[in-house]
Amino acid sequence: MATPLLRKAVPDSESFAERRKSVRDSTALRLLSAERSEEIFPILLEEIVALGFARALVLGADFESGAVRPVAALKYQPSQLQKFHSSLWAGENPLISLWHKGKPAVLSPSAGDREPLYCHPLLYRNRNQCWEAERERRQDCLAVQNFRSPQKLALQEQVCASCGMRAYAAMAVVQVGRRNHNGQLRQLSNLIETANRYLARLFKVEHYYNRMREMDITISQMHAVMQSMADPVILTDSHHRVIMLNKAAERFFKMPEGVTEGGARAVELNNLYFSAALSSMAVSGTESHRDLTLVDVMEGEEVLFEAVCAPTFTSDRVRSGMVTVMRDVTDLRRADQEVRANLQKLRDAEEVVRQDRDRLNLVIENVGDPIVVADEAAKTVLLDPLAKELFGLGDTPRQAALVRNQARLDAYLTAFTFSFADNQNRPLRLYNPASNSEIEYAARSGKIYDARGQVAYTVTVLRDLTAWKKLEQLQMERRMLEVEKFAATGRLAGTIAHEINNPLEAIKNAIYLLPGKLKPPAQPVYDILKSETERVTRIVRQMLGLYRNTDQVGPFDLNSVVEDTLTLFARQLSTATINVEKQLGKLPPIVGSADQFRQVLSNLVVNARDSMAKGGRLAIRTRHVRASDGVHGSVNIVLADTGCGIPVDMLQSVFEPFVSTKGEKGTGLGLWIVKGIVENHSGSIRVRSRPGKGTIFKLAFPIVR
Amino acid sequence: MPKAKKPEVLVVEDEASVLLTYRLLLEEEGYKVVAALSSQEAEGILAKKRFDLVLCDLTLEQNHTGFEVFERVRKRDSKVPCVMLTGYANRETTERAEQAGIRVFFKPIEIEDFLQTLKTILRNSHG
Repeated sequence: MATPLLRKAVPDSESFAERRKSVRDSTALRLLSAERSEEIFPILLEEIVALGFARALVLGADFESGAVRPVAALKYQPSQLQKFHSSLWAGENPLISLWHKGKPAVLSPSAGDREPLYCHPLLYRNRNQCWEAERERRQDCLAVQNFRSPQKLALQEQVCASCGMRAYAAMAVVQVGRRNHNGQLRQLSNLIETANRYLARLFKVEHYYNRMREMDITISQMHAVMQSMADPVILTDSHHRVIMLNKAAERFFKMPEGVTEGGARAVELNNLYFSAALSSMAVSGTESHRDLTLVDVMEGEEVLFEAVCAPTFTSDRVRSGMVTVMRDVTDLRRADQEVRANLQKLRDAEEVVRQDRDRLNLVIENVGDPIVVADEAAKTVLLDPLAKELFGLGDTPRQAALVRNQARLDAYLTAFTFSFADNQNRPLRLYNPASNSEIEYAARSGKIYDARGQVAYTVTVLRDLTAWKKLEQLQMERRMLEVEKFAATGRLAGTIAHEINNPLEAIKNAIYLLPGKLKPPAQPVYDILKSETERVTRIVRQMLGLYRNTDQVGPFDLNSVVEDTLTLFARQLSTATINVEKQLGKLPPIVGSADQFRQVLSNLVVNARDSMAKGGRLAIRTRHVRASDGVHGSVNIVLADTGCGIPVDMLQSVFEPFVSTKGEKGTGLGLWIVKGIVENHSGSIRVRSRPGKGTIFKLAFPIVR
Repeated sequence: MPKAKKPEVLVVEDEASVLLTYRLLLEEEGYKVVAALSSQEAEGILAKKRFDLVLCDLTLEQNHTGFEVFERVRKRDSKVPCVMLTGYANRETTERAEQAGIRVFFKPIEIEDFLQTLKTILRNSHG
């Protein structure tokens, strides 16, 4: 673009040297006034024509496509410009080959041309490095390399290794006329070089400008990234002053509008904690992380953060500050704790399962009956040692008995596993592998279901009925013997009692007749006679109670026996200030001798009465305890008193004959008889006592149908 | 107890010493006592005489029982109160006696209770 004012200041009449100088100065000023690189070429062309050349143009090269075309022209007709279109790789074109050499030259007129052309390649070159190379201390800045040795690089390699900038490449083409002398050519060369210097300077500025815009975009992108992060991010300078915060961080470190006093304090505290953490992290190393508890100003809740801190550096490796990213680990820590707790639970559960398994194994090993565990397909998965003896260890037992046993077990298991029954109780005949004889077993099986209600396992316990029956027989015989022994003792006692009874009657009556007929010194002797005779009477009565061979045996209501007995003793008990609490449950009839039960209860009630000399409480409870089969079960009677109790050393022997806690007053036969009657009825009796606290008798009678 | 007429009591017991003590006891209480050592003897007495009260042991000589004596008494006069004394406390005899309206005392007897009961029985039988 022409600047008429400046050109006007150059007078035509000046000397060549002056003119040359003035031309140079004015040209420099014009070029200096150009603010964009595009303005340089028009000014250059105008100045070339002003130097006295007929016409000039500038060829530009596009490195991407390799295309070469005029980018600015002066005094050329558009049709004349057409022939300058070419390609960087058109080696046969003298213009292009000259351009590749990188040095100005005059090109002789070719066919169709009347006058030679002065060609001057223009390439981006600069004395100083670009700032990228400078910052990174590199020696490969393209501008500098081109300045030092322009011919070294091929045109298409004009890309800076430091900043990636593509250099410009152009060529000024000036038509040289006959009138143009050598001095003009030198001036032309200088002019073009000057223009190139200005162009390079503008180009560099424009490069920086572009670079700045790119960085601006990058910065805004980074900013957007930072703001969009859910975790608080804080940029601080080398003095730990906050330069930038993202929105998430503002929540903790920036004072919101209209904040409460508490909120303001929270923000202050957060900042304090943060700078303290930053200082310590800055001291500790290049990159560090630590836990930091901050208060959410909005919610007022404590939030646990893990602050990760990385230092930032300037180009010359000086620490410029820190970037801190904080991760909310409240949930994470909680989850971590939960995971740990769950893991512990799992381990505990595992331990429990292991213990259960060990215990179960121990149980299985010690049951004493063969046990077979089978899976859902009725295939045996576990045999206890006893079962192994019956069915063999491996899959192919050699003994015939084992083979037959296995076949029978398989048949039994298959039938049970695929039946609808939850459990079953069946006889199973198996062979004794040792003797080869048949043994009858009672097989009791149950099913174990999985979570979906499918059969997972079946468990079968085999009971050797032969052995069991033998044992039962033995127990029965032993009991019969006991009963017989007791009955025999009873008969003997009864007989003796009867024989004693009559003389005793005479003695008693005689003693009764004595008073009044005695001299006073005989009184103590009389007293002894009387009390000892009464004692003998009591013993005989108890012994008679033992012998009732004609008692009626049949079903009777135990509760009414209890009521009868209590009625019988009601007066005695109330005189002794003994409170009776009875709790009689609904009972099925029991089979036995009601009279004998009356005796049992009388003896126990009398004992209770005697133990509570200063009064107390006697509780009698009856209860029907149902067995799991719902048919049998037992009738239980409990008598509890608050009396003097039984001394510990006597507790073992209270049921033995002639053992009494009552001294002279007792016969020592009461509980012996009670026990005898109870056992006669297949019942059991147990006693618990604490001296000074009381005594509890528990009686249980099986219900026989 | 009316002085004019002492109640007459027959006591049958096969053991002489026991019989003696009964006799002494009852006489001390103001009864007129006739004693018999066997059922045979009792039968002889009962054939001649009527009593206000008959006391008899259950077991008598040679498998004889008090029930035989009571039957004889009741045959003559069904209203005569009978009291049985026994050392055998079994249900069978007790029930049998109760059915026949015979009062039973178990040996060894509670003397005071026994004497009191006899008085009551006599009072009731005389209306």
